[in-house]
Amino acid sequence: MSIEVPVKATGMTQPLDSTAASRDVQSPVAMQVRGLNFYYGTSHALHDISLDFPERSVTGMIGPSGCGKSTLLRVLNRMYDLYPGQRATGEVIFDKQNILNSGVDLNVLRSRIGMVFQKPTPFPMSIYDNIAFGIRLHERVSRSEMDGRVEDALRRVALWSEVQDRLSASATALSGGQQQRLCIARTIAVRPEVILLDEPTSALDPVSTARIEELLDELKTEFTIAIVTHNMQQAARCADQVAFFYMGRLIEVDSTARMFTTPREQQTQDYITGRFG
Amino acid sequence: MEIPARQSLPAMKQAPSHQGGQKGDPAFRLLATATGVGVLVVLGAIIAVMVTGGWKAFATFGPGFLVSAVWNPVTQHFGAAAPVFGTVISSALALLVAVPLAFGTAFWLTALAPPAAASVIGMAVQLLAAVPSIIFGMWGFFVVVPVVAHYVQPAARQLFGHVPGLSALVAGAPFGTGLFTAALILAVMITPSITAVMRDVFLSMPAVLRESGYGLGATRWEVMRHVVLPWSRQGVVGGIVLGMGRAMGETMAVTFVIGDSNHIGWSLFAPANTIASLIALEFPESPAGSLKLASLMALGAILMAISFVTLWFSRWLLARGEQAAGR
Repeated sequence: MSIEVPVKATGMTQPLDSTAASRDVQSPVAMQVRGLNFYYGTSHALHDISLDFPERSVTGMIGPSGCGKSTLLRVLNRMYDLYPGQRATGEVIFDKQNILNSGVDLNVLRSRIGMVFQKPTPFPMSIYDNIAFGIRLHERVSRSEMDGRVEDALRRVALWSEVQDRLSASATALSGGQQQRLCIARTIAVRPEVILLDEPTSALDPVSTARIEELLDELKTEFTIAIVTHNMQQAARCADQVAFFYMGRLIEVDSTARMFTTPREQQTQDYITGRFG
Repeated sequence: MEIPARQSLPAMKQAPSHQGGQKGDPAFRLLATATGVGVLVVLGAIIAVMVTGGWKAFATFGPGFLVSAVWNPVTQHFGAAAPVFGTVISSALALLVAVPLAFGTAFWLTALAPPAAASVIGMAVQLLAAVPSIIFGMWGFFVVVPVVAHYVQPAARQLFGHVPGLSALVAGAPFGTGLFTAALILAVMITPSITAVMRDVFLSMPAVLRESGYGLGATRWEVMRHVVLPWSRQGVVGGIVLGMGRAMGETMAVTFVIGDSNHIGWSLFAPANTIASLIALEFPESPAGSLKLASLMALGAILMAISFVTLWFSRWLLARGEQAAGR
């Protein structure tokens, strides 16, 4: 599949076929955003966004506060739907379907497109139940199978050895980094296809942050990952492609190496060199 | 905006005004301590008055005062069992009706209702909570009592009158006044306040925690049941206890519709008395120093004791629940 990214910020649609051939990311596309506009009431928050999320790779979304990167993330699993007055137009194609259509089953959609938040959000229940909760919502599994699924999810976020002898303890007693890994485990336990991460390490210390970043590297062998981050080093370390947003517009998207060495847009250059934002 | 730096300089030279604060601090501390201690003193004084006032009754009847259902001013025999029974049963029935109603309303207001409707109805709930109890009493007497007498009890008798075990619950003449009507009025009275508390605790939950539930694909009910409720358990129980306290102590509305009968029986529709209604009805006819007045005071002490025990019990339940959740 050819990857074509229209960049509206420059005022015209640029076919990127010439660069696409040399891009690092060549896998099929898991999600396609096409001509997306988003409104908080009357305020126009996203302007004509078009962006591809290649399968089994990490797409980093960067930009200054209020640029719309988190808003885009909340469109991708229709989280905005909880709030009246927020609406999106355009297309988000996932599994051959425009998920912005009104007929989409949101509960199924959100089980296929998981989300991890800025702050760890363990539910007020035991560690075991935090993981089992999501699974129970969608599947009927036997006790022994559930035990296996919980263990598997905790192992994959490298939390198993730390919590295996206190699975029935409350999740709120874990440290911040452990809580965030638990939240990731909870998300992957449901077996989604896409994982959205909204600044998942902004509330964590450097050590916990490094562990989460390592984890992303493993998870991308199986999941399509979209991560919003304030931290440009993090984007450079984790992402395969990076999208730069500014004032509700997608300014530029390219492979990580290209974005951080030879960005095409002056605004991107200014942002990543720390001139603003 | 430009800061007028020059002008602020002379003002800063008047720093000694700060000394007023240094004198004020101990005074304020004293005042705050006094109000804090005052709470304790008032509580102690109330308990002391009720217990010493009721002492004559406790001394005369002994522990029998608690279990005797007799209330006979002619023979000077008084017992607390009937009004205690009426208080506990009418409050329990009221909670049985009010808690699901309040939960449903709060759930709808916070998770389902369109924002315009939620704000209007949220306001109406608060207004309903502020209606004086005498209004509920009159409404109960003129509207609810006839409805219960003419429709509810006859229908209940037709349905359950021949069912063994249930027939006793609906027995008796259809007066319209009694435990059932009192419980109904109490439920209407306490539902708004329980709803208001529940709504506030549900709204105070961090949005991101709720979103985490939805993010896993949970429905609104599943998020409410497994995320919001466990998180807000303390506030929800607090709201229910608050409602229960109001139901047990409610006087005016209950006095209108309870039927004034010191009688313990199975029938939900039989006239009864609560502690508060009995005190309200009998107090004017109790001369100072009489055994009857002492008995009424003793009943007041018992009502306070019941309230304290329920409060303590709900705290204990909460603590146990949190231990189970490992907090």
